[in-house]
Amino acid sequence: MGEHVIEVRGLVKRYPDITAVDGIEFDVSRGQVFSLLGPNGAGKTTTVEILEGLRDPTAGEARVLGQDVRSGYRRIRERVGVLPQDFEPFDRLRPREAVTYWARLFDHDVSEEAVASIIETVGLSDRADTFALNLSGGEKRRLGIAMALVGQPDLLFLDEPTTGLDPGARRELWTLIGDLKKKGRTILLTTHYLDEAEQLADDVAIMNHGKIVAHGSPSALISQFGGGTTIVLAGAGRGGSQALTARGIAAELHGDDVFVHVPMAGQVRPMLAKLASIEIPLTEIYTKRSTLEDVFLKLVGARMEEGVLAA
Amino acid sequence: MKRILADVTAFARQYLRSRVGTFFALAFPVILILLFGAIFSSSGSPRVSLAVQDMDRTDASRGFVQALNNTTLISYQAIPPTANFQDYMRAHSINVALQIPDGFQATLAQARNGSTSARVNVTLAGDPTQSSFGIAYSAVAAVANGFNLQIANATEVVSVGETPFTVQQFGYIDFFLPGIIGFTILTTPMFGMTSICAEYRTRRFFKLLATTKLSKAEWLAAKVVFYVLLLFLSVAIMMLVGIGVFGMKARLTPVAVLLIIAGAFEFTSLGMVLGIFVRDPGTGEALANAIGFPMMFLAGSFFPIDSMPSFLQTIARALPLTYINEGLRATMVLANDGTAVTYLLITLGFAVVFFVIGARGLSWKSK
Repeated sequence: MGEHVIEVRGLVKRYPDITAVDGIEFDVSRGQVFSLLGPNGAGKTTTVEILEGLRDPTAGEARVLGQDVRSGYRRIRERVGVLPQDFEPFDRLRPREAVTYWARLFDHDVSEEAVASIIETVGLSDRADTFALNLSGGEKRRLGIAMALVGQPDLLFLDEPTTGLDPGARRELWTLIGDLKKKGRTILLTTHYLDEAEQLADDVAIMNHGKIVAHGSPSALISQFGGGTTIVLAGAGRGGSQALTARGIAAELHGDDVFVHVPMAGQVRPMLAKLASIEIPLTEIYTKRSTLEDVFLKLVGARMEEGVLAA
Repeated sequence: MKRILADVTAFARQYLRSRVGTFFALAFPVILILLFGAIFSSSGSPRVSLAVQDMDRTDASRGFVQALNNTTLISYQAIPPTANFQDYMRAHSINVALQIPDGFQATLAQARNGSTSARVNVTLAGDPTQSSFGIAYSAVAAVANGFNLQIANATEVVSVGETPFTVQQFGYIDFFLPGIIGFTILTTPMFGMTSICAEYRTRRFFKLLATTKLSKAEWLAAKVVFYVLLLFLSVAIMMLVGIGVFGMKARLTPVAVLLIIAGAFEFTSLGMVLGIFVRDPGTGEALANAIGFPMMFLAGSFFPIDSMPSFLQTIARALPLTYINEGLRATMVLANDGTAVTYLLITLGFAVVFFVIGARGLSWKSK
């Protein structure tokens, strides 16, 4: 584990009517993509804004780049880049102008080449001279990331960078964040998209009601809470389920499909062989690896759709 | 300083690319000058249209009308003697009308022959609350007095002479322009800053800016610099229009320049103070209107403060815009730089107070 860029201990943010952050603890190492994952209102943005120096914590300790967030936020903001939640650019500035402007607010004298390079990094070269109000949602977020990168930050905060974007734009931003990760950037990413966290994060903290309910790498969380691999007997129906139960195999009926959970990876092949020996009418058989969604469902007790917990 | 200049540049680009902002900052004051200048400056003194019904139709009554027409105040039109006086006024929407009765010449002749009981009344009809009625009344009374002096064989002993109070012979536009400059100093930065604060809050630009090294004081200073530059551009255009179209003689003095800078500082800061209380563009607009509109009328932008009731004059003395309007008139028209400097200092005092309140009170951080 490398040097800790963020250290959070017993962090609390309390309002008169709600405790938004309730005693959370985590560390983020240099070069890591750390994801705070959870539904809307879980406390993700409050946590990030405390770390950015935009909110004062009620209790606990948080250090960013070695600085206490209460006393050192001026020094912190010189070394971090921020893409806030629901980022909107200045409508009547072009990306080239916005990046130059932002660099100067960090006291950086950026050359035209440097600005062009940042814009190229986020894939906006073709739109560099278009007014921001005419950019698409995905392009606006890219511009936001470009602005966050101008100060050559040691740490990048991306607060729900893909919320509200169409799937294509989301994938494009994933590629961009993946590229930044490859270049060794430390990134704190908040999201309510489980696949996004699974795809991009080295480390995930699942938040709910202001608390961290699970913390670890996506694979470790899946392995610990996800239930391993599921073998799906498509079209096996109730008859198939009963046939498996009669042979002592635990099976779940989901619609017309039958699910067989295999907790350990090494047990998948013997189980497949066992199932093949049973005469069951079916249309298809395939395996499904557990995902963070399964982990989330198990830990929180509900699925999440666009950041909202399903009933 | 670099951060302030960067913010000025970026803000100027956005502002000048917004047609609405540019219109209100640069074009609207010019429209006001053209409008009011055309109304009050183009034909010299205002003339009141006076309809006259001459029931006497004699040399004396025609002489009376001619004497009225010779004044610079009256433009004459006739009402037929056969028409019903009041019905005709109503039918033709006449505001002020004079009726010379039958027997006018005969009564004058009796007076000339020594009759002390000879009396004749000319009747002035109209709305006494209208200024046009007052002007017509003065003209008719003056002509009637001339006739009386002539009949009495008297001469005018006391007469009124004119001497300009100002250094040069200024016209209406010269007195009007400082008020319009004051109006622009009030509206452009204050209304602008209030709506900017609302927009920056709702669109989370303040939070975004809070993640940079730019401080609130630097941000506000950048806005002051921008509005000073914008107001100079606006004033330059107004001066060119005033001089080119109306032959305006008032000129910008060094104290006027300082007053414009101090005024921009003052009302940019006041806009930020109002911005503390606004949460969305709708409330921002309402608040700026509620503060700005009464101030622009009470502070003497369009009407002289001296013509207001005394309690309104007291209120006017408490308004920051008053000192800009009066200061600009003092230095640009009356060449009274001593008074203008006093008003400049008062304006700076207001500005510093508003700046400190704005920079401290407006929070970029969340609770």
